[in-house]
Amino acid sequence: MENLFIAATPSSPEVSFDFTRHVLSLKGESYPENAAVFYGEAVARLRKYLSDCDGASVTVNVALTYFNSSSTKMLFSMFDALNEAAERGNEIRLHWFHDEDDDTILEFGQELHADFPAIDFIDEVTTSS
Amino acid sequence: MTAAQSIDNEYEPFFAMARERNVIFYYVGYFSQNIIAAMSDAVRLQLSVSGVDGATRRKLFSSFVEMAQNIVHYSSDSLTSPSQADGHLRHGSVCISMVDEHYRLMCSNPVSTARVAQLRGTLERVRTMTLDEIKRAYKETLRAEVPEGSKGAGLGILTMARDASAPLEYNFQPIDSDPVSTMFQLVATI
Repeated sequence: MENLFIAATPSSPEVSFDFTRHVLSLKGESYPENAAVFYGEAVARLRKYLSDCDGASVTVNVALTYFNSSSTKMLFSMFDALNEAAERGNEIRLHWFHDEDDDTILEFGQELHADFPAIDFIDEVTTSS
Repeated sequence: MTAAQSIDNEYEPFFAMARERNVIFYYVGYFSQNIIAAMSDAVRLQLSVSGVDGATRRKLFSSFVEMAQNIVHYSSDSLTSPSQADGHLRHGSVCISMVDEHYRLMCSNPVSTARVAQLRGTLERVRTMTLDEIKRAYKETLRAEVPEGSKGAGLGILTMARDASAPLEYNFQPIDSDPVSTMFQLVATI
């Protein structure tokens, strides 16, 4: 399946879905005008990729420094899809990056961890620049 | 009248008022995604040089973006067609000021009068919630389907309520010249 790469803008993250190497990354800021439009293709491609995964080992890196409310909704549906793939026997490792004093992103990560137990959740603390 | 006198007369009262009210940022005009991204830069820079702690900065920034994007999504004063998915230009204003030890974020834009009752209902409900209840409602909304007519996830108001240190305040003012629109004002204290 063809890889997906979307370059970052000031208000949308870099999306790098390297399906051939099973490494999926989101990095940057996320407050696009229309999160459903921005994430629409990424979610569709992700679901298609995951439906073909069988016993795969997938690494997911999420290093978002800020996401707005509508991006949160889209991220949640992405993790839902990843969790389903993990329940079907794929190994999904989620590296959740957040600043050491960013409680909002830390708490959202903890919720994901509680809601999607099939995903192997790794909390990655970074220090402020 | 000299140029200096005219500046004194016409601009000084405006600057004096802004100083007096500790206005840090104010914008009125059309909002687009690019304008919001540029304003976000300005607000972030302002907050980082003012030495506000990281947690407060993030909360302020988050509420600022939610307010500005609400204007792009819902202001009834629009230059663009409602049928397009993005690229909207809609009118409103945002203001950040300091009141005592707190930051106050205000925004204002006209909304369709038909939406007022629903918006008021949502805001009233959120205003009576404790922080725990806000967080619970946030979790439930995150897992629920997107409400009809909402371009965001219906999470914006809960996000602002979660980040605020006091209940959100709001006001609806009828617009005499245009009864199908109502001026909506929202205040979040961080």
